[in-house]
Amino acid sequence: MKSSRLIPVAWLAVIATPAAAQTDETLLVRGGTIHTAVGAPIRNGAILLRGGKIVAIGTSIAAPAGARIIDATGKDIVPGMIDNHSHIGARPTDINDFPKLIGPEHRFLDALDWNDPDFKDAIEGGVTTIVTGPGSGENVSGMAVVIKTFGTDYTKRMLLEKGGMKFAMGPKGRDRYPATAMGVAANLRQYLIKTQEYQAAQKKWEDDGRKGNPPARDLGYEAMGDVLAKRTYVRAHVHPATDVMTLVRLKEEFGFDLTLHHSTEAYKVAPELAKRGISAVVLPLGPRIGVTEDAMAGPYILWKAGVKIAMHTDAPVISQKWLRLCAALAMRYGIPEEEALKMVTLNAAEIARVADRVGSLEVGKDADLTILNGPWYEPASRVETVIGDGRVIYERKDGN
Amino acid sequence: MRLISKSVALAGLAIVAATPAGAQDKPIAIRGGTVVPVSGPAIPNGTVVIRGGKIVAVGANVPVPAGAEIVDARGKYVLPGLVDAMSNIGIAATDQDEPAEPINPANRAFEAYNPFGDFGSGRGGPLRNREILSGGVTTMYVGPADATLIGGQGVVVKTAGPDLAGVVVREPAAMDMTLGTPPKAAARARNRDPATRMAEVAMLRQRLVRAQEYQKTREQNPNGPRDLGLEALGRLLRREFPARIQANHPTDIRSALRLAQEFGFDLVVDGGQGALEFKDELATRRIPVILGQVSHPYVSNEEIPNKEDYPPMDERLPANLTRAGVKTAIATFSRSFGSLAPAGSAKWLLIDAGIASGYGLSEADVLKAVTLIPAEILGVANRVGSLEVGKDADVIVLDGPPLSVKTWVQRVYVGGELVFQK
Repeated sequence: MKSSRLIPVAWLAVIATPAAAQTDETLLVRGGTIHTAVGAPIRNGAILLRGGKIVAIGTSIAAPAGARIIDATGKDIVPGMIDNHSHIGARPTDINDFPKLIGPEHRFLDALDWNDPDFKDAIEGGVTTIVTGPGSGENVSGMAVVIKTFGTDYTKRMLLEKGGMKFAMGPKGRDRYPATAMGVAANLRQYLIKTQEYQAAQKKWEDDGRKGNPPARDLGYEAMGDVLAKRTYVRAHVHPATDVMTLVRLKEEFGFDLTLHHSTEAYKVAPELAKRGISAVVLPLGPRIGVTEDAMAGPYILWKAGVKIAMHTDAPVISQKWLRLCAALAMRYGIPEEEALKMVTLNAAEIARVADRVGSLEVGKDADLTILNGPWYEPASRVETVIGDGRVIYERKDGN
Repeated sequence: MRLISKSVALAGLAIVAATPAGAQDKPIAIRGGTVVPVSGPAIPNGTVVIRGGKIVAVGANVPVPAGAEIVDARGKYVLPGLVDAMSNIGIAATDQDEPAEPINPANRAFEAYNPFGDFGSGRGGPLRNREILSGGVTTMYVGPADATLIGGQGVVVKTAGPDLAGVVVREPAAMDMTLGTPPKAAARARNRDPATRMAEVAMLRQRLVRAQEYQKTREQNPNGPRDLGLEALGRLLRREFPARIQANHPTDIRSALRLAQEFGFDLVVDGGQGALEFKDELATRRIPVILGQVSHPYVSNEEIPNKEDYPPMDERLPANLTRAGVKTAIATFSRSFGSLAPAGSAKWLLIDAGIASGYGLSEADVLKAVTLIPAEILGVANRVGSLEVGKDADVIVLDGPPLSVKTWVQRVYVGGELVFQK
């Protein structure tokens, strides 16, 4: 387990509730079809959970003494789902800091209400991990976080504090610079160059033996410095193909890691993305926004070209309850069932850089899983049970 | 045809357009599929015969007329075209709400409705809204959006037809109104009324009182000056068409119920997120509810509305209202998101219906809630909403069970014409 990434910050202790005693409860889920997100489905499978982790998975696992057994016969078992792009946990007025078009120093964490009622929808939808962050009202709106949707211990809920720097190619000022796509590109490029200069000044001061006062610190350049040093990556809201190519150019010039978001016309330049290893979080294809049939087929074209893709809800634009349906709609256009599932599990985890912990049902990973009473992709199926960190965190009640 | 065009041009008439004569002379027999007439039980291995733009036979053993085109529907499902009871599709964003006037009863959605597609990109010839047809929707109610108290008069249209007049099914179909956050928020942004819910109801009530007075004045002096808005409200008061009041918060639903009682007009509640607590009153007073998407709690045009103004999402609402005897339809409240989503969510009506079926509404009832029930609420059930002899030949063929996400709409007939094929 790579624990170095986890909660490196002292301040978290201030808001955290006292850590609950580590659960020793052992759960054995058996009898259903297990979709692991890393291989073929295991029919009539079993999965053993202990200490918040997956300890065994297969077809015949003997129940250890004292284990609670959950009978999932006839049901679908999938990894706890992951929404790679959402804005829940903050008040709508705290998501976009409109006055500042480039504000990498903003951290979504500083606006996050861990008890926001929207987390309940996520859990009921079988979503156990989310990326939630600011934007897309500014060209750079700040740092997202990767968190679990359940639990009272905030230190345990935090998976990745530097969860990605949000860019957005859309917002253009009506009465201020930049008002065009050209202006947005030039402004971003200028800021990235200033970040390089800032880093060079810091380095020079250190190389010169830290003589004299250090260069004045700037939180914006420091945060963008994390992007250039690849300690985090760029999550870029983008719709037109031309803006996609601007981002590709910026990536080549400055060498940062890049994931496209929404990515409406990314399919038009799919090979450009595939050859550079640029991943894409694709349209919120939920039933709320019916994009054109051409664009609906976009995720399939990207997948076919070898681009790693994940799905998102943009919650609260679409409720996280229906994340699975977003993937299901992509499936309609040709993505195979197990690949579509990856869009809301393993791929979403890999893009969010938390795949060592979550995203698939594998021994050693967090015991997050969702049990449904029918195929995971069907609108009429219902989430029956959600397990998070090895505990049952949601059970559907009769008549609900 | 001539008669229809004339009627549409006359503001004063609620019209029901007839199918153009001479359309679809050759009979078509859709044979071998699971026929779901909606008005009755499903018919395995059934046949639907259409001719002259109308349904002429539905059943397990119906004769196929000589010379009929045979459509092989084995393994497929045959349903009536879907009816989306609430949509803003076809009206440009800048044409959806009057920004400076909160009460606009003289406005007609039909006069902003563009069935031709995006401006400048349309092709000549018959009208086909392919995006919406791809979801199986053949009839929809189009109204103004919700940022004013009275947006104007809504219209029921088909999503395909020979020409503009030919797509109109009923106009005006309703007086379209909104209570709650959207008009209030829009007015507040301009520092004018209605800035509160109190002002919303007071302003509506005042205008309706004016309409009552106007009717009297007109009776006394038929040659006096005309007021188109008050005339239209007079027609509402004479119950020529209902009021469609978008109301989600229980406070707003209560106000709508009160106004309808006070002024004696017919009411349809739109949105209705908080309708459950009024279920008995709605059932007793026979007031139908047109719910928004089951998968989304906000029917409003706000992208991220203030949560406090909307009850939480309740996916069991369709089932619970239906069970209580309330006539309940599921609609998309679809609007376009620019060129990205010109069809809005209208094409996902069946997907949302599928969700409702997971939350307790039987499959038969779910399918009714997107066909026959909205047709009845819209007052067009004599034409559309079920596969019954004499109704318009609006028929869809699906390649799998109607509520599965894997299912595609393969063929759509409107008025007997094949207007969409996957």
